[in-house]
Amino acid sequence: MSGQATTISGALMTAQHYIDMLPVDEGYWLTEQRFAAIDRLFDLGLPHARQEAWRYTSVTGLLEQGFITTDEPGDIPEAEVQQHFLADQVAARLIFVDGLFQPALSDLQIEGVQLGNLRSAMAQGDQTVLQAVGSLSGAGEHGFSALNLATLQDGAMIRVMADCKLETPIELLHITSKAAAGRSLRPRHLIILEKNAGATLVERYLALDEVSYFNNLVCEIVLQEGSSLKHQRVQQESLQAYHLTELYLGLQADSHYQGVNVALGGQWSRTTVNNRFAAPGAICELDGLYLAGDGQLVDFHLDVDHAVPGCESRENFKGILNGRGRAVFDGRILVREQAQQSNAHLSNANLMLSRQAEIDTKPQLEILADDVQCSHGATVGQLDPQAMFYLRSRGLNEDQARRLLCLGFAQEILDRFELESLREQLQETIHQRLEAAVSDPI
Amino acid sequence: MLSIRNLKANVEGKEILKGIDLEVKAGEVHAIMGPNGSGKSTLAHILSGRDGYEVTGGSVELRGDDLLDLETEERAHRGVFLAMQYPVELPGVNNMTFLRESLNAIRRARGEEVIDAISFMKLVRQKAKQVKLDEKLLKRSVNAGFSGGEKKRNEILQMAVLEPALAILDETDSGLDIDALRTVADGVNMLCSADRALIVVTHYQRLLEYIEPDHVHVLAGGRIIRSGGKELALELEERGYGWLLEEAAA
Repeated sequence: MSGQATTISGALMTAQHYIDMLPVDEGYWLTEQRFAAIDRLFDLGLPHARQEAWRYTSVTGLLEQGFITTDEPGDIPEAEVQQHFLADQVAARLIFVDGLFQPALSDLQIEGVQLGNLRSAMAQGDQTVLQAVGSLSGAGEHGFSALNLATLQDGAMIRVMADCKLETPIELLHITSKAAAGRSLRPRHLIILEKNAGATLVERYLALDEVSYFNNLVCEIVLQEGSSLKHQRVQQESLQAYHLTELYLGLQADSHYQGVNVALGGQWSRTTVNNRFAAPGAICELDGLYLAGDGQLVDFHLDVDHAVPGCESRENFKGILNGRGRAVFDGRILVREQAQQSNAHLSNANLMLSRQAEIDTKPQLEILADDVQCSHGATVGQLDPQAMFYLRSRGLNEDQARRLLCLGFAQEILDRFELESLREQLQETIHQRLEAAVSDPI
Repeated sequence: MLSIRNLKANVEGKEILKGIDLEVKAGEVHAIMGPNGSGKSTLAHILSGRDGYEVTGGSVELRGDDLLDLETEERAHRGVFLAMQYPVELPGVNNMTFLRESLNAIRRARGEEVIDAISFMKLVRQKAKQVKLDEKLLKRSVNAGFSGGEKKRNEILQMAVLEPALAILDETDSGLDIDALRTVADGVNMLCSADRALIVVTHYQRLLEYIEPDHVHVLAGGRIIRSGGKELALELEERGYGWLLEEAAA
């Protein structure tokens, strides 16, 4: 099961090849979906710079890597993986290594929640799951997400039953090993919170080794009436890696989604959050933090669609750019004509630490209704010289002062993480990343 | 402790200090008074190493070190502390973290061991009590949303924790009501000792009722036009600066 995805035809060959090699136990349904995704891939092709959404985020480097699609398991360094588990008590744990589910490392014992890996649930013909997969994403927004479905590897399936409220978080950990080098991984997660359910999901992407791979991820989240999810995501891939997240939210009446995304790793990473409000009374909160240093591109696309009245959305993203780091922020809120009493606020703040860093930020608000409260804005700034002097006059050198101020800038977003151990670990990582010399600091 | 000789400095090409001489010994409290725009704050800023000033002549020595040759943080390592007129707000930077990082940076620079978390907590709690700073403010972001009085008390707390050899108070009395002024002054007095020197920069005599100076200097037009004992401050309070300026001009 291998093929190259250097070009569109290569990607198509990969997909076709993959379909030819489908495991025999796979249900008819999934095969159908894969074919639909292949068709979609034919229609869309792979993204290119002439498309507005990909204008600042070139995929050329990614395609040139010629990542191989294969599911050959490597040796699983279990002890090493375990060291990266959350330090706090969790309700359940789902572990994936190089895109493959690790039942031996996972902990699925939990009341009121159905959880496991997506492929098993599909193979068992679980109707809820089969109906939900692709219900938000369709066959794919672009070539890569179509490719994800066409060559779907595996992922988490989490279904929190009606009225079940979890006290501790569910941990979803995806970790890559040396064996991921040169590979294209295609995880896909499905998360369903039934009526009035409540949960926290901590989802992290870590790497044991600094190797190059492509993590091409799709995640669909369905929040049924009155349910509430705190979704805390950390992208800390290898600095050689490519990471793509396509996140789809389906928010039913009075549901509440609180998402926080931190992107620190990868040489190229892009996260798209698509939210189309399905019923009134829902709240969608998205916070984010990105750090781009030398040789890194970080891209966030937010697409929030107020298609119904009486919903609330709030987005607050902050970026720190260092060295020759590049970032793209494209936040779009659409308030449709019928979406009266909408509340939508979007903000993006960027801190530039070097003259060579680059940010392309585009907050967009399109309002077609008249009875709404909306705001949007973006800032690009440098460290405050007065604050720098203040810290230095107390004995901190320039590097120490700069790091402390950067962490201060990031803190508002890090505070969204409820686990102190995780907050501290993120602070530590940011601290280390900023320790690397700043070329030509401002 | 501190020797300033014929210090001259420009701001944006304009001469602000026109030859300052000042000798401060350990254990002494010096007040620098003067009308607005006389160069008081400029002097305080130059001593702490703030950007934006061009020293065109003279020298400043602190216990034998050429102060003007040192970076801002190196001055802090050698015991210089400036209590700011307008303490900067640092949203997201925890007050405790800031204090600990500062103290440890200074300790490391002096080749001393860094302080452990528990000893540090004890130290800060005790000092906060001394300067009557609400402990809740220790857990908040540095100065963010603090009242004027809380900001000044936080400056004095930093001074109490960092224990500088030379503390410079830049208009510390500005914006304080009488109770806050007394608390801040009490905090400062507690820190006065035989091996520490204090320079109090102020426009009004008010603060000097609580922090008693050994020497009072009047700075006007970039020069010290009169030096005297604490009675000079009282005379200034009564008569204003006009008569001194006239005498100096004559």
